[in-house]
Amino acid sequence: MKKLTTTLVAASLMIGLAACGSGNNDNNAGNAAASGSAGSSASATAKSDDKPVTVRVAWWGGQSRHDYTLKVIDMYEKLHPNVTIEPEYAAFDDYWKKLAPQAAANQLPDVIQMDISYLNQYAGRNQLADLTPYTESGKLDVSAVAETTLAGGKIDGKLYAMNAGSNALTMMVDPAMLKSLGIEEPAADKGWTWDEFAALGDKAKAQGKLLFSDLRHDVFFPFYLRGQGKLMYAADGTKLGYDDDKLFIDYYNKYQQWYDKGYTMSLDKLSQSKGTPEEDLVALGTALSSNQWSNQFIGISAAAKRDLDLLPVPGWDTNKALFLKPSMYFTVANSSKVKDAAIDFINYFINDVEANKVILGERGVPVSSKVQEAIRPNLTPEQTKVFDYVAWAEKNSSEMNPPNPVGAVEVDALLKAEVEKILYKQITVEKGAAEFREKANAILAKNK
Amino acid sequence: MTKFRENNHLVGYLFTAPFIIGFLIFTMFPMLASLYYSFTDYNLFEAPNWVGFDNYKTMFTGDDQYWKSVSVTFTYVVASVPLRLAFALAVAMLLNKAIGGIGLYRSAYYLPSLIGGSVAVSIMWTQVFGDKGLLNSFLNLFGAHATTSWIGSPGTAIWTLVALSVWQFGSSMLIFLAGLKSIPASLHEAANVDGAGAVRRFFKITLPILSPIILFNLIMQTISAFMTFTPAYVISRGEGGPLDSTLLYSLYLYKRAFQFTQMGYASAMAWVMLLTVGIIALILFQTSKYWVHYESKGES
Repeated sequence: MKKLTTTLVAASLMIGLAACGSGNNDNNAGNAAASGSAGSSASATAKSDDKPVTVRVAWWGGQSRHDYTLKVIDMYEKLHPNVTIEPEYAAFDDYWKKLAPQAAANQLPDVIQMDISYLNQYAGRNQLADLTPYTESGKLDVSAVAETTLAGGKIDGKLYAMNAGSNALTMMVDPAMLKSLGIEEPAADKGWTWDEFAALGDKAKAQGKLLFSDLRHDVFFPFYLRGQGKLMYAADGTKLGYDDDKLFIDYYNKYQQWYDKGYTMSLDKLSQSKGTPEEDLVALGTALSSNQWSNQFIGISAAAKRDLDLLPVPGWDTNKALFLKPSMYFTVANSSKVKDAAIDFINYFINDVEANKVILGERGVPVSSKVQEAIRPNLTPEQTKVFDYVAWAEKNSSEMNPPNPVGAVEVDALLKAEVEKILYKQITVEKGAAEFREKANAILAKNK
Repeated sequence: MTKFRENNHLVGYLFTAPFIIGFLIFTMFPMLASLYYSFTDYNLFEAPNWVGFDNYKTMFTGDDQYWKSVSVTFTYVVASVPLRLAFALAVAMLLNKAIGGIGLYRSAYYLPSLIGGSVAVSIMWTQVFGDKGLLNSFLNLFGAHATTSWIGSPGTAIWTLVALSVWQFGSSMLIFLAGLKSIPASLHEAANVDGAGAVRRFFKITLPILSPIILFNLIMQTISAFMTFTPAYVISRGEGGPLDSTLLYSLYLYKRAFQFTQMGYASAMAWVMLLTVGIIALILFQTSKYWVHYESKGES
């Protein structure tokens, strides 16, 4: 009865408020119903020679990701004729808005692509299965995956999420543009410091170029904190990882200077940019750099149709801020009735060389060293650059932070709102720092 | 058997049963469930805990964004509803003329309302009011060098939503048009003979006779304006920005519910919204006796 109640409330809220994306939702409602019955009829020990099994696999992404993922699914189905995979995919924002009601209705897909900012929300609330027994039994083969690479999916020692590929923050630049501005590019493995880089601002501005469009606050403020030896969130997730507002003030004073001098995109334009590779300012040739996760490089250099380079993202003093991040994870729903089949599909995605010749590192550099080596000859020059950069970053980074605590999504939204108030000069940096710390701590205090 | 046939009530209930059952399952029950959840900390994932009036207390005393969304919503309603009605009435009067091809004009003016609330139109609106949009291009024809994004600036974003709402005047316009048709031409002719000008006839004849229809449109449009969601969601890409300047109440509710998965809080917000809109509709009804004119007054 509770299930019914929650489904109805969620449904009525959705219908009452937004009739958006209905085409997709209808499909998924159908899928959910179909797999519910199929799931219960399948035995718990589904193997390739067993009865028919239906596995629902959900992910977010752009069109190219949908295309090759469907292809990989086809390949998998050919190898396992008894398995039917029902794909459910959406763009990032819609994905989470669809997943939450599904969780409430106990109808999560069997395989769920997971993001770090939501991992704790789902794992901590008992929605995800612990994968440790499967890695121990070898059903999920992690023999070629480094322990540090796995660590990003662990909470309290349990492996809830399988890293689907590795990423590192990077600064993408257009060497030809830098040259035409008379800017000397640092050695590929050295990079600039932020101060050195910001010093180029006036020179760029004189030619009508920006330093960058913006630095995502939920990514770069924590990155800055790491450089100062602090973390964004306290280890137990009940408050922020720093108490000294000076850190916030220092960082956003600098940021505001860059903004006020016109080194970055103005907020009114930024709020309308969709963040697609085609709109990327380096691709368009209007900014010196684009600071992003390394897997974005493929899309952006394809949009640019020019040779772009990857540099380390500027550090502050050292690069101890840099870390390898799982680009995304694969997780298995706790409510899944076909866990074995779900695990087998993830295993195929992670370890199968033929599958990865189709995936080609689009979800981040493959975590299996065997797969990495095997597919290298198949890579385009751009993909090779990404693989090389991540290999370099692996040696020049430190361990990543534990996954964000419950409430982090709200804290990220709060940070963005406070920074907007600062940049629009509604409040001072000092006031923003204090407001952010107090409100964020209040949100996180609910985790006690 | 005879008893069954004579029992009119039972047949009536049988015929209305599909509606009653549907209403109970899909309207009544979810409403009561949401009332219950508004007193809990329900987060979609875990069983709800009873927290009494905590959600309501936080909403009224500890949430700046909530009050921001209330003020944005009232600005939107107060600005868009009268403008939209005035515009609808003006166009209805134009289209009330007997000229050739009037049917075509009426369809053309109604068109924006047919597609009005849709996502596609909202996306088009971002093209019109963006930094390289139609409006700026138009202004630049006169050498204005306009480069700001109207949708991206905190001072103007909400007004682009108001403009979008006014543009979708079609449905109220049709109702006004029907009302205008029902005004006997003889009244206008008689006033004309007595020497009343167009302005005087409008205020003394057209408006009073139309007033029940104005009341109807006013209440319907006010309610729907309070519930506006899609344009703000699409134009601010689900955020209500910049600086929360387009954070309409329903958008904030949606954010709380589906972005932060705080269903309890969102349910509480929904109930406050229901009560507020109810009270406002009641006030409008109460004021109507001072300005709405019914021809059948005293007869019924």
